[in-house]
Amino acid sequence: MELTPAQQLAMHKSMVRIRLFEEAAGKLMETGQMPGFLHLYVGQEAVAVGVCEALRVDDYITSTHRGHGHLVAKGGDLAKMMAELMGKATGYCGGKGGSMHINDLSLGMLGANGIVGAGVPIAVGAGFRNKYLGSDQVAVAFFGDASTNIGAFHEAANMACALHLPVVFVCEHNMYGEYTPTEKAMAIADVVDRAAGYGMPGVIVDGMDVLAVHEATLEAVARARRGEGPALVEAKTYRFYNHHGIQTLGVKYRPDAEVIAWKERDPIFTFEDRLVEGGVASRDQIEEQWAQVRADIAAAIEFAENSPYPEPSALLAGVYTAGGAK
Amino acid sequence: MSDRTLTYGQAFSEAIRLEMEADPNVFIAGEDVGAHGGVFHTFDGVQSEFGERRAVDTPISEQAIIGLGVGAAVTGLRPIVDLMFMDFSLVAADQIVNQAAKLKYMFGGEAKLPMVITTHGGAGLSAAAQHSQSLEALFCHIPGLQVVFPSNAYDVKGLMASAILEDNPVLFVLHKRMLGLKGPVPEGRYTVPLGQAMVTREGSDVTVVSWGRTHNEALAAAETLAGEGVQVEVIDLRTLSPLDTATVVASVKKTNRVVVAHEAVRFGGFGAEVAAQIQEEAFDYLDAPVGRVGAPFSPVPFTPALENLYVPDAARIAESVRAALARPLLG
Amino acid sequence: MGSVGIIVNPWAGKDVRRLHAPVGHTPDTAKIGIVRRVILGALDVGAERVHVARDVGRIAERAAKAIDRAVLVDGPGTGSALDTRRAAAQMAELGCAAVAVLGGDGTSRDVTMGWRDAPIIPISTGTNNVFPGFVDGSSAGTAAGLVASGAVALADAGRRAKLLTADIALPGGDRIQDIALVDMALIAEQGTGARAVVRSDLIRLVVAALAVPASTGLSAIAGRTSPVAADEEGGVVVRLGGEGRRVRVPIVPGSFDVLPIASIDRLADGGSITVEGPGVLAYDGERDRVLPAGSTATITVARTGPFVIDVARTLRAAADHHLFDVAPGDSTAATRTEAHHGH
Repeated sequence: MELTPAQQLAMHKSMVRIRLFEEAAGKLMETGQMPGFLHLYVGQEAVAVGVCEALRVDDYITSTHRGHGHLVAKGGDLAKMMAELMGKATGYCGGKGGSMHINDLSLGMLGANGIVGAGVPIAVGAGFRNKYLGSDQVAVAFFGDASTNIGAFHEAANMACALHLPVVFVCEHNMYGEYTPTEKAMAIADVVDRAAGYGMPGVIVDGMDVLAVHEATLEAVARARRGEGPALVEAKTYRFYNHHGIQTLGVKYRPDAEVIAWKERDPIFTFEDRLVEGGVASRDQIEEQWAQVRADIAAAIEFAENSPYPEPSALLAGVYTAGGAK
Repeated sequence: MSDRTLTYGQAFSEAIRLEMEADPNVFIAGEDVGAHGGVFHTFDGVQSEFGERRAVDTPISEQAIIGLGVGAAVTGLRPIVDLMFMDFSLVAADQIVNQAAKLKYMFGGEAKLPMVITTHGGAGLSAAAQHSQSLEALFCHIPGLQVVFPSNAYDVKGLMASAILEDNPVLFVLHKRMLGLKGPVPEGRYTVPLGQAMVTREGSDVTVVSWGRTHNEALAAAETLAGEGVQVEVIDLRTLSPLDTATVVASVKKTNRVVVAHEAVRFGGFGAEVAAQIQEEAFDYLDAPVGRVGAPFSPVPFTPALENLYVPDAARIAESVRAALARPLLG
Repeated sequence: MGSVGIIVNPWAGKDVRRLHAPVGHTPDTAKIGIVRRVILGALDVGAERVHVARDVGRIAERAAKAIDRAVLVDGPGTGSALDTRRAAAQMAELGCAAVAVLGGDGTSRDVTMGWRDAPIIPISTGTNNVFPGFVDGSSAGTAAGLVASGAVALADAGRRAKLLTADIALPGGDRIQDIALVDMALIAEQGTGARAVVRSDLIRLVVAALAVPASTGLSAIAGRTSPVAADEEGGVVVRLGGEGRRVRVPIVPGSFDVLPIASIDRLADGGSITVEGPGVLAYDGERDRVLPAGSTATITVARTGPFVIDVARTLRAAADHHLFDVAPGDSTAATRTEAHHGH
């Protein structure tokens, strides 16, 4: 598909936003300024951006415990994200959700999720809503390869197909379920081999190539909008950091050489080479994008650091919604 | 009150049909709720009136059924999702407990989840250990959920209407032994507010707090005890979460003795919470320990010979009341 | 006695075409079955050893399980075409007499890039392929084994394929050489995207070494206007556009487009044509090489491709020479070579 230079630069910038946001968050965690768990999305940027660039603002997505990238790609506010990660009142969840529950309902981002696979049935519910209302909005479920071994995934995939709902299943196959290689967790190598079992098409796409992800998702989304039902896109990708935290090399469960080989296929740098070779952008323009994002991240950190923690009264607020339709 | 009578089950489907008529965003989804009208026929007539779009037969996939409800509710619809047997709620526990109940809070209060999870609980049909449980205590323990367990047709319709109109997830439990129980039910829409217990029989000597089918056993026990000269005040909690502690405490302050009776296993049952609330709020008014009646610490047996022993009845409630009354006043 | 090689593209039959067209999915179970049948077929007729290249889909590993004389060959495991090219080079070093290649047109091309003279049996596991056919795994294994054991001479088993070569001159002076086995096409796009060519309105020119009427894709454009078979020399150049002749061509399986044909020119053996950027060059149906403005690509067709073993022809030769017969009194011949080999 023809992407304008402006669109391609926007995709580049979105990937850079994810990269720098995550690296900044990693540093803040390392220095003790950020509480809790941190599952960094670095390495997988092409998937979130390639997919979300194929979506409208009113399309829904559900995410995973590794969800910052999805929110950034859907247009999330870096300052509110950073504040949430620091547990501040100005954060997306008022400091009550943190990294694993970050969301923006106004952008159709129905939440990261701390339970592996649990977002998938929720995306099916959003897809049901779209069909129920006769809308052409779609719902995209992001999930990892390990999620497809969970019952919730199976139930949701089957139900979406049985009810013929506008849901696109995007599997980020990053080769590991936490610290266990996928090959120890399933006897098949490709999640798409499961798609036919539900009666939907499934395709493998290079998850390190933002344009490839985008093009495949565009078609899957177009089918869903036309009422042709669900499809599964499996993006082969890799997380550069550890399951949790900021370690890259020297972990016991995956060889350093493998990490280094995948880093050579860095989705941002390879895309930059293509932008330059294709005459879409100059190195200066690319550098300018990085500079802009660096400034945005610095501003986000400053905002978060200067924000207050929630008042004690916030503890019990928001458990229930007051009133109702009556 | 109306002259018209409906069964407990009919009152339920009437509430759904009236609310679906009033709000196009209300729909039902679950196993067999469409064409068949539900395995207990509690959804009879919904699909014939509203069509397949709004009365959706789903696969047997409890997690996905609740997930469908969560996703649809958070994006603006008002789903009623059915789990058939209360025991099956455990299959969907993640979606109920970790998703539906917590989404709003985790999202900083932004999300709204107007959804009703309906299910059929209770023993008495020789349905054995996986189709007979009363698991309300599990869900009362979860912040973010509301739990309703009505005892009669009038309340079923009014409480269900409230549950549908409510902007929070509600677990609505029907007792499967009471589905055919008839009672007066007015035509047209009305609501019984959530979170309000009801004094269903006034008395001065002792209070029995109960809900669901056991509440009706409590009324029978009260009748028996009246013959013995004991005036029992009976309270139907109707909604377990949020708990109407005030109504219970006011009654206890009047009667000074209280028994909590429910069908669920006594150990760790919701009666323990009610008893604890009473001693916190009305300790100085108590003339006897709070009595508790519940099922023994065992799975529900299959054979009627044992199931009848298992399920607490009016006789056991009366026995517990007598024990509370037998306790002499100190000092 | 020689050995047989097997190279599998694990992701063939799983690409983005499944979203555009009514085509099925080729699951690993199907590919594992083919590889295992190739191994068993080759060993049955006397191949000494079967080298199976490891792939990121673990198809080789699963297919070769518990077969003693099936040996896994380690590779870089990048999940890209590099794995196939490297595996082909390793098969050359191992001295494989025949190599079964499972995948699509692009897979055979990648093997050729790794080993220009590879003696291959291309087996289609993908969608709308022209170069590989749908071949039964057992028969392919038997053909490979017959060649490897020397029972059928390579010269009697098939012939060398044609090759398209693109010599690219970039504006900065850099030069690149690419190859294809079926067709090269100039596409008016900026990038390679999800690789498959699905928009017929952006195709500007097709150079086909194999112009097959009974096919789907770019080759069919030439095939339906000026067919060129595998055993004919040279190729054909079709330019698209203009207001003249229009033809119906399936570009994507199940979709029949009407394409304007500006010109058709035969290309003699060894002949060439030069195209200019900007655009993207698609090789064997997949967008591959971005051709910036100011660059040129000179495309040549010649019979310099890999050696293709024709399964039917090889087995026919073996049958004619009674090579499947068991010698009278050969008590060592088992009544059945077990599919569940090994221990």
